[in-house]
Amino acid sequence: MPRKRNLMRADRLGYVVGGVALIVWALRRPGLLRAGVGGLGGWLLYQAYTGSNPMFKPLGIHVNPQPAQPHIAETLVVEEAVTIARPREEVYAFWQRSENLPLAAEGEVELTREAAGEELAWRTMRAEKLMHFGSLTLRDAPGRRGTIVMARLEYVPAGGSLGAVLARVTGRSPQRLVADCLRRARALLETGEAPTTTGQPAGRR
Amino acid sequence: MRAVCWHDKLDVRVESVPEPKILNPRDAIVRVSATAICGSDLHLYGGFVPGMVKGDILGHEFMGEVVELGAAVINLKRGERVVVPFPIACGNCFFCQKAMFSLCENSNPNAGMAEKLWGYSPCGIYGYSHLLGGYAGGQAEYVRVPFADVGPLRVPDSLSDEQVLFLSDILPTGYMAAENCDIQPGDTIAVWGCGPVGQFAIASAQLLGADRVIAIDRFPERLRLAAMKLGAETIDYSEDNVLEALKELTGGRGPDACIDAVGMEAHAYHNIAYAYDRMKQAMLLESDRPVALREAIMACRSGGTISVAGVYGGLIDKFPAGALMNRSLTIRTGQTHVQRYMRLLLARIEKGEIDPSFIITHRMKLDEAPAAYRMFRDKQDDCIKVVLTP
Repeated sequence: MPRKRNLMRADRLGYVVGGVALIVWALRRPGLLRAGVGGLGGWLLYQAYTGSNPMFKPLGIHVNPQPAQPHIAETLVVEEAVTIARPREEVYAFWQRSENLPLAAEGEVELTREAAGEELAWRTMRAEKLMHFGSLTLRDAPGRRGTIVMARLEYVPAGGSLGAVLARVTGRSPQRLVADCLRRARALLETGEAPTTTGQPAGRR
Repeated sequence: MRAVCWHDKLDVRVESVPEPKILNPRDAIVRVSATAICGSDLHLYGGFVPGMVKGDILGHEFMGEVVELGAAVINLKRGERVVVPFPIACGNCFFCQKAMFSLCENSNPNAGMAEKLWGYSPCGIYGYSHLLGGYAGGQAEYVRVPFADVGPLRVPDSLSDEQVLFLSDILPTGYMAAENCDIQPGDTIAVWGCGPVGQFAIASAQLLGADRVIAIDRFPERLRLAAMKLGAETIDYSEDNVLEALKELTGGRGPDACIDAVGMEAHAYHNIAYAYDRMKQAMLLESDRPVALREAIMACRSGGTISVAGVYGGLIDKFPAGALMNRSLTIRTGQTHVQRYMRLLLARIEKGEIDPSFIITHRMKLDEAPAAYRMFRDKQDDCIKVVLTP
């Protein structure tokens, strides 16, 4: 099966440097540990050569080599969806307020497309720099269960896809932030408030 | 105020903490008049549940008086006496609308954590780890109750605290466990674990028309309660082989439904798998010890139902999938949808069909909570259920 290239360009350079370093360290002295580390280095070089990391798929890391925005070589893509038990117009009106959009707090949000009741697209700039861009697509859920909101966000990760892997493992990834944002929207629209425990008592931490 | 705080494995302390405040418009503050230690609190006490943080206030079985209300709560008044269900549920979402309150999508602020472990998140629960929201619990003088317009049930003054307190969790939990068995006339129901939930599962199975109930445990005081108070037949698993005993008692066919009221910290005798589970759990290679669950599956009549009320947290080994599939067994389970059962069970209590206070063995002050946890965990002094009053 031909592998799809999913490493970012910056990653491949890092993989070459890292792989060579590990192999050099492994060759300095014999030993079981060093042999294992050498193998790991070889695996990194192989990934740099093929441009594909088999761990990305199970980790849910998705690289877009040709993003739609100019001046950006490649992006990581986050996709999340939520079903909200409210009518489409109401859900759309909520998202039109740009402070409600995912990761909006990270910069100046600029709406780039508005199709009433159906789609919203935006980009977020900070100091003339594009932070991320994304879109929300709305459609009716089957069986009158409300509105399905599909969110797509693209961003250039600090530290390449390795940074994205680390962020994911520590639970602070854009993926998680987008999901949390969708959940918060559902809670606000369905219940009128967002669940919280901030400000509640606890014993000595 | 005084509150029971979790600090570490086997370390709970009563501490002075600030009083809770209204944080959301649908909140209420309840002054706790009675609270209980749940068997599932022992999983926290024993350090088996991830996501606990030093200082977390424990307790999800409690009741009391409404003392403060958020602006959006219009169906309650200050001074009213209420029992609070342990699942925090909004009443608006897809699941709440289907009366599956413990699956509420809008009450767990840490849903992302739970999703990592379980795929999707259930509702938030008081005092039951940050995985389930990190809400401060009710083993305290005061507690904040979110979505107070949905959960709390007003109770009549004619009933004492002890008669209605268990509507918060264990009575509905035992009842749902029995309801999940889809009991038909002539049915025999076997119940693993005769702690408070097991006792209520036995009583509920009888209310729902079971012909026979067989209770399984190893503590004489629990078996005695099941036999004397409820008229169940009993098996002491420290003496008998449960599978053989059940086969004999059910005419060679097995119980029509089996209730697991034990959960992740099961014990066993005459069982090699148990030693295996203890070892793997100690090495953190398995989070739960599913001895009772495995046995319930193996014991159940073909085509029967296994109803799981005991709490599980993570992953188990050696799950008898072959028995499950080849013998057309059904597993039904879930955190209890307490809000669904409170009214109908309150009616049964009022009519005198059940008086849940029969399980209480110890009445203590909130300040004695550390001793109470120890006693309950070690089953000292024939302890079955502890009620704490502030």
